[in-house]
Amino acid sequence: MVLRGLSLEVPAGSMTALLGSSGAGKTTLLRAVAGLVRPLAGTIALGGRDLAGVPVHRRRVAVVFQEPRLLPNLSVLDNVALPLRAAGVRRAQRHAQARALLDDVGLGGLADRMPGGLSGGEAQRTALARALCGEPELLMLDEPLAALDPNRREGLRKLIARVQRERSVTTLLITHDRTEAAELGRRIALIVEGSVVQHDVPESLFERPATPTAARFFGATNLLRGEVRGGRLQLAAGALPVPGGDGEAVLCVRPERLQVGRGPLRARVVEAVYQGSHTRVSLDAAGLALEAHVPAGQPVSPGAEVELDVSPGALWRIPDADPAGVAAG
Amino acid sequence: MSRRERFGGALAVAPAGAAIALLFAGAVLGAVEASVLPIPGEGLSQATLDAWRNVFRDPALGDAIRFSVQTTLMATLISAALAVPAALALRDHGPAVRSIFSAPVPVPYLVISAVATLWLAGGGLLERALGFLPFDVVRDQAGLGIALVYVYHEVPFLTLLILASLGTELSQREEAAAVLGASWRQRLAWVVWPVIRLPMLVGTLGVGAFVFGSFEVPLTVGPTYPETLSTLADDKLSGSAFDGRAQAAALLVLVTAITVAITFALVWLGMRRTRRA
Repeated sequence: MVLRGLSLEVPAGSMTALLGSSGAGKTTLLRAVAGLVRPLAGTIALGGRDLAGVPVHRRRVAVVFQEPRLLPNLSVLDNVALPLRAAGVRRAQRHAQARALLDDVGLGGLADRMPGGLSGGEAQRTALARALCGEPELLMLDEPLAALDPNRREGLRKLIARVQRERSVTTLLITHDRTEAAELGRRIALIVEGSVVQHDVPESLFERPATPTAARFFGATNLLRGEVRGGRLQLAAGALPVPGGDGEAVLCVRPERLQVGRGPLRARVVEAVYQGSHTRVSLDAAGLALEAHVPAGQPVSPGAEVELDVSPGALWRIPDADPAGVAAG
Repeated sequence: MSRRERFGGALAVAPAGAAIALLFAGAVLGAVEASVLPIPGEGLSQATLDAWRNVFRDPALGDAIRFSVQTTLMATLISAALAVPAALALRDHGPAVRSIFSAPVPVPYLVISAVATLWLAGGGLLERALGFLPFDVVRDQAGLGIALVYVYHEVPFLTLLILASLGTELSQREEAAAVLGASWRQRLAWVVWPVIRLPMLVGTLGVGAFVFGSFEVPLTVGPTYPETLSTLADDKLSGSAFDGRAQAAALLVLVTAITVAITFALVWLGMRRTRRA
């Protein structure tokens, strides 16, 4: 069983990003919604209409796959017009609508070209125009940027955002890239092992993850487990002031919020790797592995003993955490 | 494709093409020579077109051409029509099922014909088991028995050819078309057919040409009259006419000419259609 106990609602007219690692069940969910696989149990509804028993071609759900999947024997124009042709729209009318869409995605000059003559980015734009041509009730984008190089990815990302905003088409974006999810999704649903573990606005998933898994997925890699006494988390490397009551707790802090300089925690620098915009510093805080991002110019040497502090409000107490499942401090 | 690539491609197939041309041309020239020399080894001074005149004067020729075309069309069209759904059904199955389905391909036609005769002919095993024969397909006047033997053999053959063109990419494109609103009929016409059209056309042409020229199946399960062109040639060869061998050779040259003409016409039509599209 790939999906279990999964509940997800996508508000009409908005874009929701379904985020998860490979094998989490994202594509299976997409295929179930599109009608390409039949779920063993559960309900899938679109605009209040139960899709059970509705054949795939009657669902009014369009999908842009990771590969453009254009028909090689049809021109770009005819590919885009395919949904209208399937609906029985007359040739002149469907070509006019397809040309308008091609203009909208910046491919007006390529209408008569065959798909074999398109670049990866152009082919994916064509696939996007084709998906929109049938005016679907739900547009699903399955890793649409994954196969593109960074320059083309940025262009297509902006195009997807603009088209979605202008047309207000309800969109579900499937991705494994948290940055892409945050840039495009008004809300993000994080799926882990077939279940949605958190569904919220991007800021919440980055700053206030609901589970340790969500914290790690969104880059809050520093997980601190310990006992809170008198408002302070007791760790072997020191004590940190934390929010909430006393008791066992798991807290997380993002690497960019962990300050290397003066502070209540003591640690030893294990590794410092220059990464352009910052230096990634791996630390050993009395057996607890931590990571900090320090400004690129700040001198940090492997082997040096340093003190650590956490920005006010940057320490988040994970509500659904099982303290036993996280490395002890 | 650039001129250099085209030249390279032509060069790569040249040895195979030359071997085929040599064998084909040699066989045709040999048949033409045999058709104009009633007595082998007499030299060109004895060349005559009498055998050709006799063939064209034979009232059985018209019926043989009609019957050959009829059985060829029946066998080829039924095979092609069944191969498409068979390939679509088989593509989701693994090598075991495909192998079982393909089992008739290496079986000789003569064996299939003999088994068909043993079971389905009047007085055969089926009639003895049932006490009556519910259909008449062995030595029937319509040539249905001949067509069915070929269908049994050629459906798996064409299915294998079509299956080879049905890859993962095609399934993905079918899915894409489905979510865009295309029904299964539209997907078959717009997505699947353009991909299988060429291998099917080539395979069907091969099957048609083979059926039109082969003689063992019509000889075994076909009626005494009308005959196909190839069994008529066999009759001429084993008959008592002085120029029987030359007439048989003339008939085989005629079969070859008709096959080549139809093949070129269909290829030309296909290419013209492709250029228009």
